[in-house]
Parts: sequence; structure tokens; C-alpha cells
Amino acid sequence: MPDLAVEMQETLQEEERVPVLKAVNLHTWFEIRKFGFFKAGDVRALDGVDFELYQGETVSIVGESGCGKSTLARTILGLHRPTKGKLFFNGKDMAEFKKEDMKAYRASVGYIQQDPYGALPPFMTVKRILEEPLIINGVKDKFERQKRIRNVMEEVKLAPIEDFLPKFPHMLSGGQQQRLVIARAMILQPKMLVADEPVSMLDASVRVEILQLLRSLQEKHNLVIIYITHDLSTVRYFSERIFTMYGARIVEKATTKALLSDPLHPYTQALFKATSDPDAANLKAYKEVPAGEPPSLLNPPKGCRFYPRCAKIIKGKCDHFEPPEFHIGDDQSVFCWLYEDQGKQ
Amino acid sequence: MNKTLLEVKNLKLYFRTSKGPVQAVDDVSFKLNRGKTLAVVGESGCGKTSLAKAVLRLLPRNIMVYSGEIILDGEDIMQYNEEQFRRDIRWKKIAMVPQAAMNSLNPVLRIVDQIIEPLLIHDRDMIKDKALARVKEMFKIVGLPEDFLYRYPFELSGGMRQRATIAMALATNPELVILDEPSSALDLLTQANLMNVLKRIKHDFGTTFILITHDIGTASELADEIAVMYAGEMVEKCHAEYFYTDARHPYSRKLMSSVPTLREDKELVFIPGQPPSLVNPPIGCRFAERCEQRFAKCSEHPPTFDLEHDQQVQCWLYTAGEEVKHA
Repeated sequence: MPDLAVEMQETLQEEERVPVLKAVNLHTWFEIRKFGFFKAGDVRALDGVDFELYQGETVSIVGESGCGKSTLARTILGLHRPTKGKLFFNGKDMAEFKKEDMKAYRASVGYIQQDPYGALPPFMTVKRILEEPLIINGVKDKFERQKRIRNVMEEVKLAPIEDFLPKFPHMLSGGQQQRLVIARAMILQPKMLVADEPVSMLDASVRVEILQLLRSLQEKHNLVIIYITHDLSTVRYFSERIFTMYGARIVEKATTKALLSDPLHPYTQALFKATSDPDAANLKAYKEVPAGEPPSLLNPPKGCRFYPRCAKIIKGKCDHFEPPEFHIGDDQSVFCWLYEDQGKQ
Repeated sequence: MNKTLLEVKNLKLYFRTSKGPVQAVDDVSFKLNRGKTLAVVGESGCGKTSLAKAVLRLLPRNIMVYSGEIILDGEDIMQYNEEQFRRDIRWKKIAMVPQAAMNSLNPVLRIVDQIIEPLLIHDRDMIKDKALARVKEMFKIVGLPEDFLYRYPFELSGGMRQRATIAMALATNPELVILDEPSSALDLLTQANLMNVLKRIKHDFGTTFILITHDIGTASELADEIAVMYAGEMVEKCHAEYFYTDARHPYSRKLMSSVPTLREDKELVFIPGQPPSLVNPPIGCRFAERCEQRFAKCSEHPPTFDLEHDQQVQCWLYTAGEEVKHA
């Protein structure tokens, strides 16, 4: 008997080690056509991304607009089909999902959009907005639906519930609208949330409130949260890990603590230096900003994507060969030739 | 030359709506010295943009009250009639870079035709070649290549368009430039770049700026003084160096502690509740409902108290010039 218990424990641990989401060499390209017929090229919006996410993990994806972070989110949500590479959910290949599997998958992944007002249908009441996902996913009992709507509204602190139910989105403030979007994402009790810039449209004081709400939901339900942002300063309060993206690729992966104390990739360092904290000393100094603009994804540079703007370029290497992933310590890995000697591949 | 460039006294701007008058700017007074930058911060809907528009008299039709004094260089420009204001003030002495300026360029005109326009309109003796030379000079200052002048707005990236609108505001050499959220729609690195450009202009030409923003981090790059607006009122104004560490008004303090910082690990707090409606604001202090330090006196409207370091606070806690602790 004890053997069986040990065995069970082992299988349990084995199961725990299966990542909730795993991406292997993920590419999402968009075809550009000339005259609607001839192929003129591909926009490589996502060009070779690998990562693993485990239950209960929060990860922030940081980068500028056009770096592919929203494409990554939409590929994860199943809104774009990957051009190359594979995406595994709980160990199952998403390319082999049947229609029912996809429906179940969509129910277990919640999406929080950037602009709450744009994301909510203006002609539906709060009650209807929250009820619809339940109806679609076959919760037939009316009282069960009501109970779940109440529970989720309590969780996101849209109180008093009775007052909010008959309201339309335009009657709510920005913060309340974003809570409603979160409630809608949470109503099917998902395992994972994808939050695409959830606070960038909100005021500073409300921003903190929403971040804390997401954080408490994550802790309570042991969710995986993918938090996409361009604002490095909110990351500290939210996630355990950070991926930095540049030119459709991940350039650095690290725990938040390691990244904030010592960013390694020259691009992450540039982002770091460009972020202003309120400080009177800022008035006296100019910022260091790398020259140039992000690369065209139609025709990305050979070698490292950042080399045309990089001050620490190694000539003959960075502009010819793509940097592999170098692991620095346990918590950090970076795609940059500068760390060839220090890190192991 | 006057040391004080702009003095605003008891400025009021109310809009007429079907629900009643909206008190967008209510009794705002401040002074701004030449070559300095004042950052106006606050949440959305607190009247920051209305204040800017009131100074430049860019008003919509539904105006109910527009009163007070705006003294520019010793002259009360509120007394000017519309034609005089257009001819002598707007774009000549005060220019503005509107919110989301990169989308405010005319898409069917080349950049050069748009930027050159204020120069030709405001100076009858200006010949086109001279204006063109001036515009080219401006482009160099904001860091854009000259040949970009002959492009259409859609051919430029967001950051470049933003810089083009700044060049347009500076072309007539105005004394005061109002920047309304100049960097909020831009990427981090582009934003840092733009702040560098503005900083250089400020140092090299001594231009006076009013910077309207909700991002205190970016404001700190340029601001010599900070004014905090709440529900149409200016609740605090002080030198930047004291503001970040020693804000006085309870609202400013909360606002500062809700700003996430990259380099320092601090506990973030949020301000519970919502700002009052500007249609029927409370008679007393407008922040009282959300304030943890409120006491009996807060039901009356607080006057502005002057504190040391030239700090002005509209809060009853500072009646004696020092913060009073109430149980």
C-alpha cells in the first residue's frame, strides 16, 4: 500500500511539472499581397519564440509597440494560427485541437483587453455581458448563472451588485469598466488570463487598484497570468518573471528581481534608462537613448535584431549571426553575444 | 524684461450643459516665471486641458462663464478682443501642441505646407524663402532630417510627427508653449528622446513651457514647478524638488504614492472613491469625501495658504502655515 502512495505522489509531481502553456519555436507571419494576388512578402510579427509557463505563474511581456507582444497574446488566445512552431496547452498540441477542444480551451483562457470601453458591447447591460459566456458554454440553470454572476462581481468588487446589473457600459467609470472586463474574463473560471495592457488607459490612482485586483485573483485561483505592457515600472508590483521582446523575438528572460537589479540585454538596459521615476535630479541630465527605430519586420536585419541600434556591437558577429540563448545564473537568460563567455548555452 | 511671464488670476471657465454648468476650471491662480516649466498634473477630467484652452482662448461654443485675468508680459490679455487676440497672442506669443498631436496634422497636406502656415499668417512681411529657412532650422532643432519636410504625415512615425508638431509650435518663436500630454501616446524610447529634445530647447532658447500630463515620472524630466489639479481647482503648487518628496496636500500625497517606480520598491496605494461631479461640486473642500485627514472645517471651502519654499496649498490643515494634526 505505501508503495502505491509514493507512486501516486510521484505521478502527481510529474503532472505538476507539465507546463500549462509551452511554446516551441513559435512563428506568426502575416502575408502581404500585391494586387491581392502576388505574394510580396511576410510581416514576421512573431519570429521564433520559446517559453514554458507553469501553474500559478505570472509573467510580464515588456516591449515597445510593434515588437510582437500583442501578436503573441493573440496567438496564445488562438486568434491567429501559428505559421511555424507549436503551442502546447497542458501538454496537448494545440494544432491538433478539434472544434470542441478549442471551445474548451477558449473557456479556460480569459482575455483582458486594453481599452475597456471598446471591449464592452455598448448595447448590453452588465448582467447580459456576464451572462452570455455562461449561456454559450452551456450553463442552462438560470439560478446557477445568477449565482455565478454574483460571485464574480463580488470578486472584482463591483458593489452594490443590484445597482450595477441593469447598467450599460457607458454609465460606468473607466475603472469600473475595466473591472467588468475582468469579471467577464473570470466568469468561466479560467486557468489562465491574458491581459493586454490592462491599465494603460487608466489614471494612476485607478491603475494601482486594478493591478492589485488582478494580483489577488491570481493568488486566490492560482492562475497563470500573462501581463503585456510597455511600462516597466508596473512590472515590479505584478509578476515573478519578465520577458523582454524586441523585433518579434524574446531577447531576455529573467525573474523580476534579477531583471530589475541587473538588466543584461542592451535593449533592456535602454528601456531601463529611459523610464523616469519622479525625481528632481531628472531635470539636470539628458537621457541615453539608442539611435534609430525598431527594425522592419518585413525584412528584419540579419543576426541580432538590435545590432543597428546597439552601442556595444561586436562587429562581424552581431551583424551576421543570430545570438543563441545564454543562461546567466539560475534566474536569467539573454540572447546576446556579449554574454558568450559568461553564460552556458 | 519682466521676470514673471504669465500670471493667471481667478480664472474661471464654466461650460453650459443640459445638466447644468460644468465648472471645468474654477478660480485658478498661478504665476509662471520666464524660462521655467510648470507641469500641471492630475487625473483625467480634473480640468488640465480646459485650463490650457482657457489660457489660449480656444473655447467651444457652450461657454457660460469665462472670467478672471490672464496677464502676459504685464498686459491683461483677457481684455483683448477676438481679432487682437488672434493677431498678437495666439501662435505669436503662446503656442500649443495639442493632445495626440501626431494625429492633428492634416493628412492631405505635406508637412512643410502645414508648418510654414503660422509663419506666413502672422508676419505679413515674411517671404516664403525666409519662412522655409526658419522651418528648416526648427527641424534641425527637433532632430528631424530636412527632406522629411516634403513628406506627408503618414510617411512619418508617431514620434517624428510629434516632433514636427513641436517644430510647428516653435516656428513663430513664441514666449510660452503649452504642451498637452506630449508624450503619452508614444513608446518608451521615443518618449525619452522627445523629452531630451524639449529639455534642449528649454536650455538653449529659454522657452517657457506649461506641460500638461498625468505622468509624474515624465513630468519630472522637464518641470521646475508642479501644480496639482483636482476637480477643476488647483490644490497645490510648489517647486518640483520639494514636490516629489514633500507634497503637502493630502491628494498630492496620495497621487505620489500611487505612482509606480522602477528603481525603488514601495507600497502602492490607490485613492478610493471617485472625483466629484463638476456639475454640482461640494461646497467645501472637493477632496474631503476621499480624504483620510478630513475634519469639521473641511465642509467650508478652503482658501489658498502660502507655506515656506513658495509652496501654495488649498487645504485647511495648513491654516497656521504648518501642518496641523487633527485627531
